[in-house]
Amino acid sequence: MSAEVQAGKTGSRWKLSLDTWAVLVAFLLALLVRTGVFKHISW
Amino acid sequence: MADVITVPQVQPVQAALRFLRVIPGVLLLAAVGYAGKLLEQNVGAYAKARHWTFPNIEYVLWAIILGLVISNTVGVPEIFRTGVATYEFWLKAGIVLLGARFLLGDILKLGGVSLVLVAIEIAGSLAFMTFLGRQFKLKPKLTTLLAVGSAVCGVSAIIATKGAIEADDEDSSFSIAAILALGALALFTFPVIGHFLHLSDRVYGLWAGLGVDNTAEATAAGALYSDAAGKLAVLVKSTRNAMIGFVVLGYAIYWAGKGQAQAVGNKAAFLWQKFPKFVLGFLLISVLATYHFFNKDQVGALANLSRWAFLLTFAGVGLRTNFSDMRKQGLRPFAVGAIGEVVIAGFTLALVHGAGKIFGW
Repeated sequence: MSAEVQAGKTGSRWKLSLDTWAVLVAFLLALLVRTGVFKHISW
Repeated sequence: MADVITVPQVQPVQAALRFLRVIPGVLLLAAVGYAGKLLEQNVGAYAKARHWTFPNIEYVLWAIILGLVISNTVGVPEIFRTGVATYEFWLKAGIVLLGARFLLGDILKLGGVSLVLVAIEIAGSLAFMTFLGRQFKLKPKLTTLLAVGSAVCGVSAIIATKGAIEADDEDSSFSIAAILALGALALFTFPVIGHFLHLSDRVYGLWAGLGVDNTAEATAAGALYSDAAGKLAVLVKSTRNAMIGFVVLGYAIYWAGKGQAQAVGNKAAFLWQKFPKFVLGFLLISVLATYHFFNKDQVGALANLSRWAFLLTFAGVGLRTNFSDMRKQGLRPFAVGAIGEVVIAGFTLALVHGAGKIFGW
């Protein structure tokens, strides 16, 4: 008897690379700065 | 007849657990990085108040040194390791945000020059490392991994090539250890040589971007010299990173031709898969900055966000460098890497110096 395991496929379809996540987070931060949510970032 | 077992959707829970697992390590990166920043501010002032002669050590170096001390004395406990490994994520996010400080015209001008230098550097490094690997009788695939790691972009290139040419895990561990050890050495030697030779920010930045293999170490080596050199090192290193797909594709075709790797089907899809997406993000942010999507204060805020991201990266560079682990990997690949790196550093310095003469830098 063989058993076939079917995992939900929607997750893997949307799996993004580290690079892409880094770009998305950077753009989100840039958008927050542009819209004035982050007004000043000190260093 | 096959029994079908449907596994219930547990992905949101898994994602939340993965997120929770990175928190301790990210907090450690932030603590080490911030301690480096505090040391930069306070040690110099303390020494000056007591009339001591003490070199001005930047936060970049403090963060790396603190990380190295932790990693090589008490070690990084398991609970922190997943989060510490996110330093590459912060590096890439930092590079994208740094794009706000570049105008498109500058990128096209400098990128054009650096593209030519990068092409010469990659061709020269690949040829020399292949020759060296043969002289030292290293395994051919190990030689390929060391050549790609030295010529293009360190660990990322080795991992990408390993999959494409079906190299052993052992070969990739050897190559990664050699490239990381040599990257750590470059961090300390490049700025000293740069100051000794009185290199300008532009010449040094180009040299660090061309000569240092790993993106994190190239960014740090540039930032250790000056802010302007750091910016340029990131630009040149990103140009090198953009070449990764072409080099890996070339090697994949070569090894497939020898029957020792799977043939590449759709070459365009292969190139896109290997292309570092953060380079596109960097370019897009600089296009937005060029067309005044951000005002001056906002560009300043993005630049500071980029510095915070790099701070976590520099802490991670120190924390993931363990010299005793590297020693275990053996001497021969390290020797090949070391000889190769010294020659490539000299070659790229001559290349940049020559370009400086031609363009009057």
